[in-house]
Amino acid sequence: MMSKLSLGGKASASKLSSWVEPAFGELFPGRRGPRSGGDSGDKPAKRRRVKSSAPNPESGSPSRRQAPRGEPDEPWVERYAPRSQAELAVHKKKVEEVETWLTTHLDTKASFKGGTVLLLTGPSGCGKTATVQVLAKELDCRVQEWCNPNLPEYRTDDSFRQMFDPDSRFNGFQSTSQTGAFQDFLLRANKYNHLQMKGDSQASDRKVILVEDFPNQFYRQPGCLHDILRSFARTGRCPLVFIVSDSQSGDRGSRLLFPKDVQDELAISNISFNPVAPTSMMKLLSRIVTMEAGTSGGRVSIPDKSVLEQLCSGSSGDVRSAINSLQFSSLNDLSLDKSLWTLKKGKIPAPSRKGFMKAKGKSKSSQNTDMLGDSQAIGGKDASLFLFRALGKILYCKRETFEAAEAPRLPAHLSEHQRDKLLLDPELVVERSHMSGELFSLYLQQNYTDFFSDVDDIARASEYLSDADFLTAEWSSRTTMLEYGTSVATRGLIHSNSARAKADSQSSVGFRPLHKPHWLLVSKKHKENCHAAQSLFISFCLNPVSLQTELLPYLAKLSNPMRNPAQIAFIQDVAHLPLNIFSGSRLRLEALTDKDPGLIDTDSENEETLQSEATAENEGLSTEPGPASSPDAGVDLPMSQPQPTTTEALLEEEDLLIEEYESD
Amino acid sequence: MQAFLKGSSSQSTKPQKIKAAGPSGEKKQRPIPWVEKYRPKCVDEVAFQEEVVAVLKKSLEGADLPNLLFYGPPGTGKTSTILAAARELYGPELFRQRVLELNASDERGIQVVREKVKNFAQLTVAGSRADGKPCPPFKIIILDEADSMTNAAQAALRRTMEKESRTTRFCLICNYVSRIIEPLTSRCSKFRFRPLANDVQEERLLNICEKENIKYTKEAIQALVKVSDGDLRKAITFLQSVARLNGEKEITESAVIEIAGVVPSKLVDGLLQICYKGTFDKMEIAVKSLIDEGYAATQVLNQIHDAIIDASLNDKQKSAITDKMAEVDKCLADGADEYLQLMSLCAVIMQQASQSS
Amino acid sequence: MSLWVDKYRPTSLGKLDYHREQANQLKNLVQCGDFPHLLVYGPSGAGKKTRIVCLLRELYGAGVEKLRIEHQSITAPSKKKIEIDTIASNYHLEVNPSDAGNSDRVVIQELIKTVAQSQQIQSSTQREFKVVLLTEVDRLTKDAQHALRRTMEKYMSTCRLILCCNSTSKVIAPIRSRCLAVRVPLPSVEEVCSVLANVCKKEGLQLPPELARQIAEKSGRNLRKALLMCEACRVQQYPFSGEQEIPETDWEVYLKETANAIVSQQSPQRLLEVRARLYELLTHCIPPEIIIKGLVTELLSNCDGHLKAEVAQMAAFYEHRLQLGNKAIYHLEAFVAKFMAIYKKFMEDGLDNFMF
Repeated sequence: MMSKLSLGGKASASKLSSWVEPAFGELFPGRRGPRSGGDSGDKPAKRRRVKSSAPNPESGSPSRRQAPRGEPDEPWVERYAPRSQAELAVHKKKVEEVETWLTTHLDTKASFKGGTVLLLTGPSGCGKTATVQVLAKELDCRVQEWCNPNLPEYRTDDSFRQMFDPDSRFNGFQSTSQTGAFQDFLLRANKYNHLQMKGDSQASDRKVILVEDFPNQFYRQPGCLHDILRSFARTGRCPLVFIVSDSQSGDRGSRLLFPKDVQDELAISNISFNPVAPTSMMKLLSRIVTMEAGTSGGRVSIPDKSVLEQLCSGSSGDVRSAINSLQFSSLNDLSLDKSLWTLKKGKIPAPSRKGFMKAKGKSKSSQNTDMLGDSQAIGGKDASLFLFRALGKILYCKRETFEAAEAPRLPAHLSEHQRDKLLLDPELVVERSHMSGELFSLYLQQNYTDFFSDVDDIARASEYLSDADFLTAEWSSRTTMLEYGTSVATRGLIHSNSARAKADSQSSVGFRPLHKPHWLLVSKKHKENCHAAQSLFISFCLNPVSLQTELLPYLAKLSNPMRNPAQIAFIQDVAHLPLNIFSGSRLRLEALTDKDPGLIDTDSENEETLQSEATAENEGLSTEPGPASSPDAGVDLPMSQPQPTTTEALLEEEDLLIEEYESD
Repeated sequence: MQAFLKGSSSQSTKPQKIKAAGPSGEKKQRPIPWVEKYRPKCVDEVAFQEEVVAVLKKSLEGADLPNLLFYGPPGTGKTSTILAAARELYGPELFRQRVLELNASDERGIQVVREKVKNFAQLTVAGSRADGKPCPPFKIIILDEADSMTNAAQAALRRTMEKESRTTRFCLICNYVSRIIEPLTSRCSKFRFRPLANDVQEERLLNICEKENIKYTKEAIQALVKVSDGDLRKAITFLQSVARLNGEKEITESAVIEIAGVVPSKLVDGLLQICYKGTFDKMEIAVKSLIDEGYAATQVLNQIHDAIIDASLNDKQKSAITDKMAEVDKCLADGADEYLQLMSLCAVIMQQASQSS
Repeated sequence: MSLWVDKYRPTSLGKLDYHREQANQLKNLVQCGDFPHLLVYGPSGAGKKTRIVCLLRELYGAGVEKLRIEHQSITAPSKKKIEIDTIASNYHLEVNPSDAGNSDRVVIQELIKTVAQSQQIQSSTQREFKVVLLTEVDRLTKDAQHALRRTMEKYMSTCRLILCCNSTSKVIAPIRSRCLAVRVPLPSVEEVCSVLANVCKKEGLQLPPELARQIAEKSGRNLRKALLMCEACRVQQYPFSGEQEIPETDWEVYLKETANAIVSQQSPQRLLEVRARLYELLTHCIPPEIIIKGLVTELLSNCDGHLKAEVAQMAAFYEHRLQLGNKAIYHLEAFVAKFMAIYKKFMEDGLDNFMF
């Protein structure tokens, strides 16, 4: 979804007219024009969306293109919005992907197959909307866009109400009605063809529905959206495009609104955009600069190449912010203050996350410039780190050798603690990961074992993690201690890895997959199971510990017909341990991908695990000869619990484990 | 056995008890807890605390009474003393009007001190009793367990104390004088209550046994004195419990030890001997059986402590062990597992003991 | 068909199988008329609960055995709703206040107030008080214990408390001094054997004494466990034989395997596997402190002299942390890693000494 700011901007921009427009907009082609395409001139400050001003097919008369460029105050973002595929800064392949999808699904309209849905994701400002707009224009179809209606509480004028029925005093226009309106919009957009007005081109009866704003209700109850989508999938006649911006600050919009199962169910195609590559960004910026230089005639100062590079990197692949910064920086009266832009001369920060995507095994020198300390004073985005990268930084802990002179020497008896200079600041890494220190430590805990080779080291590391948890144990002081705890965890982990103590001895551990922490799930299950045990077996009047460690495990060994089905199921699930099947089967390792926002969608995860658990359980039962848990089995039937010799079981496990990791 | 209602501040529940006993008391004569029954009736009966008794006696003879601060370990007669004195001063009728008793269980925030204490203190009183005898023209406010008052409440008290000094005397009672703020202690005459000497205690207990018709062995009474550590209330409470549990039978030493939750010294000594001489495995078994017997680790720790202090180890060894003891005590207070903690303590003792040999 | 543990549970003080002396004392107590608050403590499986139920029966007659499970919801002053299950008869109420977590104080106050204020339904019972049975008092917060102390005094006239816990270490002194403490030790091996023999006789089974003894020893004198084991033996094989293998619970076997895994190899890779196993145990409702205790017992049997002392120290240290910390896995894992390091060093040193 859009970032908050632009969402607000859009909402206010469309304040008056947008509410009914989606449904009836086509009736007033004259009104629609200025809103979607040309209103940028009227409300320059409010409309900040990059390139969204791609002329709407209906309104876009060729002359419009020149007209706004004459206005000096217009944001460059609007002025230089792409008009063709060539102008798009998005990677060619992605554009092609979207284009293919659009063409296929636009053309199948005749043979009625139901609505098809495309989901575009990617960081903000990477050109998702622009791509759709441009392609739609080139494919000659209309884009019909949903805008969130305003809630009546915020309206002061009565015009809105009069639009409906001035006599009926309906108040309490609730948010659900936004959902209703959305549904209505989809239905109408789907059902009614564009009214053929005089002068309209005949060909444009193809259309795409574009949804970028989601009614708030959907975030609270994604189920509503899914229901609407399901009905749309049945009845829809034109392609529907959703655009959701990811952001690493834990905005899990796309996962919340479009969970995997729904995506599969409705055959939603998902195309994920990457941040704009620095080279294309450079190209774009230089183009704008040259054009600007040609037209402005001295009104703007032209920034030199290094400034452009800086802008380029500071924006971390966000075209919109880059162009905005460019415009700001090239204003004459500000240009004297060049130093602001180059606060740290000599070091040109490579945008952290772009750097990562380019190559995993980067040379040390580029790592060098990658120090987190550098940032732009104005206009730069916070160089936030994706969790994957942040974890990598701590776990790989790059070091550099000291200059011979400055190297502090530890006395001989402490020499084992001698470490080379760290190339990173752990606290900053954690801060930039946009996660609580506690959660970050959990991620570290899940993954650190792979990076250690020595048992002593790992013992020390685990001790530091334990220390960190202990520091935050006291409830009353937790807020203060949290930071220290994180420091202890990260720095302790880095320090204790003696294999990576020296810059030159940093043998390449190679790429190790990172995984999401199991602990949250495990502790949740632990609590749930304990709770379930107590409520199911309350009639035994036992305290929890003896219930869980004595009664239940033995109940599993006995065959006692007095239990009800829920109890039987629980005993089967909990009181039995998979003694002879692979122990890790319950906990699938969930690989952490490079762009994972790092928050755990516990619900969905839980469901998945439950399923996998169920299957694991079934497998376990079917492989076990004579399952001891079967409560129906007669009393006389001897219940043998197969007990494999330990070594065998372990060997088996080891093999399987290794396999598992590799497959990840 | 009724002593359970009372606990450390035996007088505290008096007001409620009277109320509560109302309906049920008519149905059946409730046994009175012995701690109440044998509480000293007059100052002369107070055992073992000569200085206080002297001061209070003077005041009984007509001298003014200072503000008092009684401190000392529990069960040494602090509350009993002031109550006995007050009863003598005012007689049974005036007693309830003239004495206000507040303890830690009562709401005793700063607000209460301000209102309840002030209101009571502001009542003026006459200098004679209903029966014509003279009585001192002041009231007494007893603040039991004063060390659990917040500092703010204590601070609020000092002003009240000075302002009402014409009509009111305060008696603060606490276990630790260090927890009373300086301004308050300086306004009071302090009296330290010493733990009762064994013979005094024994005498009292024998006295009670006689009156209650209890059969006892000499060892049982000595054991009572020993486990109660100079706390007479505890001793009397235990005595009543044992008497109740045993019915008509004779009270024995083991019964006393059982009721007090004390680990028989045989077991503790055995454990220590294993630590000094035995192997780790034997120690493990010994600790396990101690826990299985249900003894509380804190109790075991206390008794090991006493034994270690007297043991023939050098100072360095003792300090290393007691250091570990402090740690174990803290861990136990935090809720750590008793078995593991005792094991780790015993492991340290073992290690230290082996160093000397 | 109920479990043997329940089926042959003694129902009166006179029928208790062991600690007869104590049973008599309790009888005396009941006959005395006035009944103090009780604090019953002892290890798990010693028969505390059985004793208490017998006592209640002695107090009120058979009526206490008519139990009903009630689901109470209590609203805290902070408007927070607390749900808790209670077991009640007409004369008593049993609750485990630690179920309510940090709101245990409110639960205690409200429940006792309700019980104390509701008047006795039947005048036929000779008692003018009801009993509130609080289990796991040692797991109460300090706050709740202080509140309990006050509540005990306040409702003394209509309500008696029986507190039940494993150890008095975690019960604050003011509460201990207000209660008559009753210690219930574990039955001796012989006592366990005789109980087992009795139960088997009633079931019409032949129990060889060797097997009874084995069960008693293996159960660690925990009578509940012994009876469950015995019943499991019955399911496994009948007629019994003296050398019969006694079935262990899955988690104990699993824990043993885990300990073996730790001893047989010390590497980061192995630590990861052990972690997976720990997670498995946790999801199967095994409390972390039980896991660490079980591991220690197994590991200790695998090492020598001074290493044992070191391991015992470590275990105590990390178990303490476990109690205080938020995430048990950190501490469990640190314990395992630490053990691995020590053990590996020990083995290597041993090897060196051997070679030179």
